[in-house]
Amino acid sequence: MGKIVFINAFPADETFTLERRIRLLRERKLAQTQEKIDREGGLDEDDYGRVVSPDDFHFLPEANHADGSFYGYEGWSRNYAKLLSVHPLYCDPLDAFVGRGFFFMTRQKRSLWNPDHPYTELKAAFEEYNIICGIGSDGHFTPDLRMGFALGWGGILAKLHKYQKMNTAPENALFYRSEITVVEAIIAFLKRVSTELRQLAELEQNPALAQNLREMAAVNRKIAEDKPETLRDCIQWMCWFSFFSRLYNRGPSGGQLDELLRPFYEHDIAMGLIDDETAKFYIACLFLNDTRYYQLAGPDEHGKDLASPVSYLILEAADWINIACNLTVRVHDHMNEDFFRRSVAYLFKNKNGWPRFSGDNSLVHGFMRCGYDQTLARKRLAAGCSWMSIPGMEYTLNDLVKINTAKVFEVAFFEMMEQDANPSTTVLWERFEKHLARAVHTTAAGIQFHLTWQDQNEPELVCNLLSQGPVETGLDVTKSAQYFNMCIDGAGIATVADSFAACEQRIEREGKITWQALTRQLTQNWHDIDGEYLRQMMLHSERYCGGDTLGDAWAVRVSTLFTNLVREECVKHPGLNFIPGWFSWANTLDFGTHVRATPNGRHNGEAINHGANPTAGFRKDGAVTAMANAIASIQPGYGNCAPVQLELDPGIAGNAEGIEKMTSMIRTILETGNTLLNINIIDKQTILQAHKNPANFPDLVVRVTGFTAYFAMLSPEFRQLVVDRVLAVNGDDAVD
Amino acid sequence: MTGMVTEIQRFALNDGPGIRTTVFLKGCDMHCAWCHNPETINAGRELHYYADQCIGCFKCVSACPSKAHKRIDGVHRFYRNLCIQCGQCAQVCYAGAMVMSGEEMTIAQIMKQIIQDKPYYDDSLGGVTISGGETLCQLDFALELTKACQAENIRVGVETNLNRPLAVARVLLGQVDLIMCDFKLFDSQAHRHWTGIGNETIKENLQRLDELGIPYIVRTPVVPGVTDSDENIAAISGFLKHCKRMRYYELLNYNPLGAPKYQSLSRLDPFKGAKPLPKARMRELASIAARAGIPIRIDD
Repeated sequence: MGKIVFINAFPADETFTLERRIRLLRERKLAQTQEKIDREGGLDEDDYGRVVSPDDFHFLPEANHADGSFYGYEGWSRNYAKLLSVHPLYCDPLDAFVGRGFFFMTRQKRSLWNPDHPYTELKAAFEEYNIICGIGSDGHFTPDLRMGFALGWGGILAKLHKYQKMNTAPENALFYRSEITVVEAIIAFLKRVSTELRQLAELEQNPALAQNLREMAAVNRKIAEDKPETLRDCIQWMCWFSFFSRLYNRGPSGGQLDELLRPFYEHDIAMGLIDDETAKFYIACLFLNDTRYYQLAGPDEHGKDLASPVSYLILEAADWINIACNLTVRVHDHMNEDFFRRSVAYLFKNKNGWPRFSGDNSLVHGFMRCGYDQTLARKRLAAGCSWMSIPGMEYTLNDLVKINTAKVFEVAFFEMMEQDANPSTTVLWERFEKHLARAVHTTAAGIQFHLTWQDQNEPELVCNLLSQGPVETGLDVTKSAQYFNMCIDGAGIATVADSFAACEQRIEREGKITWQALTRQLTQNWHDIDGEYLRQMMLHSERYCGGDTLGDAWAVRVSTLFTNLVREECVKHPGLNFIPGWFSWANTLDFGTHVRATPNGRHNGEAINHGANPTAGFRKDGAVTAMANAIASIQPGYGNCAPVQLELDPGIAGNAEGIEKMTSMIRTILETGNTLLNINIIDKQTILQAHKNPANFPDLVVRVTGFTAYFAMLSPEFRQLVVDRVLAVNGDDAVD
Repeated sequence: MTGMVTEIQRFALNDGPGIRTTVFLKGCDMHCAWCHNPETINAGRELHYYADQCIGCFKCVSACPSKAHKRIDGVHRFYRNLCIQCGQCAQVCYAGAMVMSGEEMTIAQIMKQIIQDKPYYDDSLGGVTISGGETLCQLDFALELTKACQAENIRVGVETNLNRPLAVARVLLGQVDLIMCDFKLFDSQAHRHWTGIGNETIKENLQRLDELGIPYIVRTPVVPGVTDSDENIAAISGFLKHCKRMRYYELLNYNPLGAPKYQSLSRLDPFKGAKPLPKARMRELASIAARAGIPIRIDD
């Protein structure tokens, strides 16, 4: 089977500095990105550090169901072990670590949900309101890597055997058998990797690279069973955990990176094993391996800042490799100001969307409103596109469950126009309230359904191993997590709020159009010149993020309603804590295709607004502050996010004074109630040129939603969306 | 009391320290040929016409009392000479082809916008900048706005051409937290040629500005072929040597963004096609200015 190895790519007498290795690795990364575009087409999602699979490697999973797919403990463990036994090695002798994935098993199977457990009744409501229900979805919580560091794969296997003996009930037997199969397959895989690396070292003609291969072989032989001891062991272990979990089902998020690495770094420094340059090189290679989400700095459980020399090294390493890095700096009251300023400077220096920033106060106080204490709330880390998670302690379905509230609005609007003789925003609101309640209730029922059956569909066989509960109880994390903080996100808040505001302003306050005439236009998609005139009129009503506008007021009302409805479901489903947020991820386009023209001047099928952001053109001056204030005002406030997505011109912080202003801006955005801040630094001309000729900009990275991606990798539709966002703020027509 | 306001720009980063809201007042006593905000020169309301935004709805034709808008062969035509600046067309033009510049606003209306960004001013040591046009052309209004801001503990800066006797201007300039003033051309005759007014008052004010006890910044817009000579910059910087409370002397590169506005106002743009100076030349001018021993900044 074809490995991807780069043996004898350099002459025997070639020498390499760390600097040169990083440069060469980065060039290879860009070439691999281009290969992904050429071979796989555009993808509107994270980079994942994936590479294109070798031509001669094909994996055909074994079905265990009549529908041709595989499900449950048996199906997943058997196929996973089979895949690991044949999965080719990816090895670059320039790198500090081996292992790169090609695909996720979830995308190799036919059907994602076991048809033995149908949910026909729920489906009808999911379709009516265009709900992404999360049933059968995976990952999107955070395992605790420290559990893996403490045990190693051998220790994890021993732990499984120990608890297998303690939990002998029939329902536990399958769990342990499957998990043991998985861990044994992992250990065998790592041993095979080590052997292959030794063989590659023999083949490599360049002595420096051969030595690196021998070191890699030794590290991999050791961590096949033993726990990691050095920084290199630790990061190789992390790389493999990324690989194992991604290969299984795209996998979870990372954790508090500086604190994860610190004990190993301090050990190596104390022992004289490495210097800071080597540590930085290892960390840069970690970023190359995978684009997993990590948090930096933030408070420890007593509120003391966690920024350490390792935190600085991580920033420097990210600067060095400068690819799509999903790093989040947690901003809090006792922040290390120097570290904060440094992180802002890197954002503007590299213009690659990293780091982003989360707001500790809002997140912690929000999560505490769910009934948790401050210590636990501080452990809930920035972990994904929009979400937070406590490593190893909770199951969440974060970012996997979404209600398209623009669709809910559409249902309410047309129902009113059919059934009410005297339409009004009051009547429309009552109908919206009724339908949103039904949508939320059905969504919560869907989550409950998922939790009931997911272990028989797709147990979390990899993440279970680093979670508190599954191994100890012999049950999948969907049944044994310590906390069930279940995410329900709304999407389309600006579309809905602006639609309510436009109706109130133009129909009820100004009398410029009737409900009937508006309905006609929506049905006809504003098709003629009169329609376009009326569309412009509705579009230019007082919009969300305009600053104390009708749209802002409606947005608060919509968010309050959504929040209350989600929280009410907690009472109906004991043991589950439903947490509301506003986030659409990359579904912005698809959600739009399900909604016909809306009263805010949106055309049939056009994208709904992105996350909690306003629609383009929300203010003439595009004021960031107006936008951030409005988004702060619609935060649901229970510990999940309604992120602020900013697109800024690079000229905004071209000197030290500019960096100071941006540092202050970021702090204030987060101190005024916001939870998460994603920032793109993109020149308008650059983005326009890149949109025309993406291949000319192979290293242009943008923060698309919560994730960063190579601009060239995105579909043309999604590129357009990013372009529109960039053009929408800081408009040229502002005075001065 | 009301003032004539061109625009309120929140999240302004180039009009003084920190994060600010800039209130652009309408009307200026100078007529700088290179002005990149030509709509702020006249004190009255003015109509911008952006032909590329027109969707061909012809609502403006029926709204216009002076027949400045016509439908000819199915195409919209605008006759500026017939326009009485009433703004009726702009009120029905949602597409943004007709936009009125200038709005009578009360202090309360402006403060409603300003106050929304107070946390940003506080953290960044920013505030409000009153700009123009020329701030001193609406002196009383600017003063009331300053007082209203200061009542909310918001710092205020003003941008001014300093073309009023200090005895008149000090009521405002002595009250604010920062003065940002222009000194465009040292030679008074050249100053008169390019701005319509000589610079004697400006020089006199600059010699006495320290009396106010307020920090200030002096700026020269570096306009190609006008203010960008070595002699001009050397003379101005030399003149500023005695300015004790001056934070720095700043050279602002030419801003070409005014071109579409000239077109929308049907005015001739005397600097059409002009480009900002190369960075190297800006640095060269900065080094000339630095010979006077004063702190210098350039916006490159």
